[in-house]
Amino acid sequence: MFDYKRFALGRIASFGTRYMPFADVASEEVPLSRLLRLALFQVTVGMALVLMAGTLNRVMIVELKVPASLVAVMLALPLVFAPFRALIGFRSDTFRSALGLRRLPYIWKGTMLQFGGFAIMPFALLVLSGYGEAVDAPRWIGLSAAALSFLLVGAGVHMVQTVGLALATDLVAEADQPRVVGLMYVMLLVGMIVSAFAYGALLETYTPGRLIQVIQGSAVLTVVVNGIAMWKQEARNRSRATAPVQAFSFLDSWARLAGRTGMIRLLAVIGLGTAGFGMADVLLEPFGGQVLAMTVAQTTRLTVVLALGSLLGFGLASRWLGRGGRAMDAVCLGAVIGIPAFGLVLASALILSAPLLVAATLLAGFGAGLFGHGTLTATMRAAPREQIGLSLGAWGAVQATAAGLAIATGGVIRDLVLAAPAGGTTSASPYVPVFALEGGLLLLAVLVALPLRRGDPAAAFGPARAGAADERGTDCGLAAPRP
Amino acid sequence: MSNDPDKVWPTGLNLREAEEVHSYLIDGTRVFGVIALIAHLLVAVTTPWLG
Repeated sequence: MFDYKRFALGRIASFGTRYMPFADVASEEVPLSRLLRLALFQVTVGMALVLMAGTLNRVMIVELKVPASLVAVMLALPLVFAPFRALIGFRSDTFRSALGLRRLPYIWKGTMLQFGGFAIMPFALLVLSGYGEAVDAPRWIGLSAAALSFLLVGAGVHMVQTVGLALATDLVAEADQPRVVGLMYVMLLVGMIVSAFAYGALLETYTPGRLIQVIQGSAVLTVVVNGIAMWKQEARNRSRATAPVQAFSFLDSWARLAGRTGMIRLLAVIGLGTAGFGMADVLLEPFGGQVLAMTVAQTTRLTVVLALGSLLGFGLASRWLGRGGRAMDAVCLGAVIGIPAFGLVLASALILSAPLLVAATLLAGFGAGLFGHGTLTATMRAAPREQIGLSLGAWGAVQATAAGLAIATGGVIRDLVLAAPAGGTTSASPYVPVFALEGGLLLLAVLVALPLRRGDPAAAFGPARAGAADERGTDCGLAAPRP
Repeated sequence: MSNDPDKVWPTGLNLREAEEVHSYLIDGTRVFGVIALIAHLLVAVTTPWLG
């Protein structure tokens, strides 16, 4: 007789695994299409960065008439969370889950925070600017709501990026990590470029209603795209789910990571170099406009050239490191290229040559691409498999903090020189100390990085560490045959 | 599949796994609820409704 119960159970069981958001079996080979899908989380991160630092920066000051200093404070708020990236990474390394997941819950929580921040952001901004009846509302409502929305988005971005990168590192073999790093950087750039154009077109004619549509549309898009990115990416791990609770505290774990040869030095290099390259990000456009009298369209193209240079750098680093190159070599080369690049920027001010500035920008972007790719690959290779999250969290914390501080310092230096009585003798003089400082920081980064390169090969973060694939081999889902 | 005594019909998850999936649902509902509440308050401040 036909066994109805067995038939029904079979159908339900196969239905369940097909529509569950986690992968059932950890496969050895992760196809490129799956990695591309995972890299989509970087697109939403880029979208959030552009929306906050670029689009809203302008909308708040020009359309909403919020004081510029208040806008700067609001945009700097997410930086408060940057140091917590190390903690988030550690928590995801040691997350206790009956399902045997450790990255997926954190990506989901980060996505929710990002969504929540975007959902209340437009109303918070309208209240802050005193739109409609909000003129009579107490000031603290707008201030605290706007601060909350920026904090939520910032925390979500930090969380999604840290844990997403850790998941990508988990998924691929050691030899393929440089390609994954390249892919992640390219997707971040793609997200930033596409969303910059999209936001520009959507907010061409500004109305409060359009602002609400655009920001809340970003919120929905974030959840959808991140959902697609994390679907079925992480395998359930039986042995991890049933393993005894580890007694490691965050400080223990951190001490273990920091005790590894070259780790602290690597973080110092990341901080110095990121600060060196990051300072130029917001100053290149005003430099081109004020010193070389370039038009808005021309200076916008300058940013595109910078991104193009970075793309070339990522591409070269991916090929080089993927074929067995040492990550610290790429880091050093990137920083070394950056020093003459900023020298050329200064030279372009002396001879007033716009083509020279474009060439220097391309070179700086190329150096930054090599440097960024090299440091992230070095961080991935430097950490043991069970500390990937903490290590990438430390990378993100140092990198985000250094970039934020550098941008703020660059702006402050320029404004101070501009305000000094003897300062603004020529239009270039406010920028000279900033670009000189950048060159100095990069030189310092190279000096700190050199011992890492000369030292023993293990400390130079070369590929193929013995036993790297062991931990992956123990992943087994429910449907995997058990030994 | 059905010979594991811990597993709960019909999902094939055991009790701890099912409770974890449920906890994500509860957390999500709470977070989205609070977000919706704040958003409504802010909208009420800019364009009040109900008088």
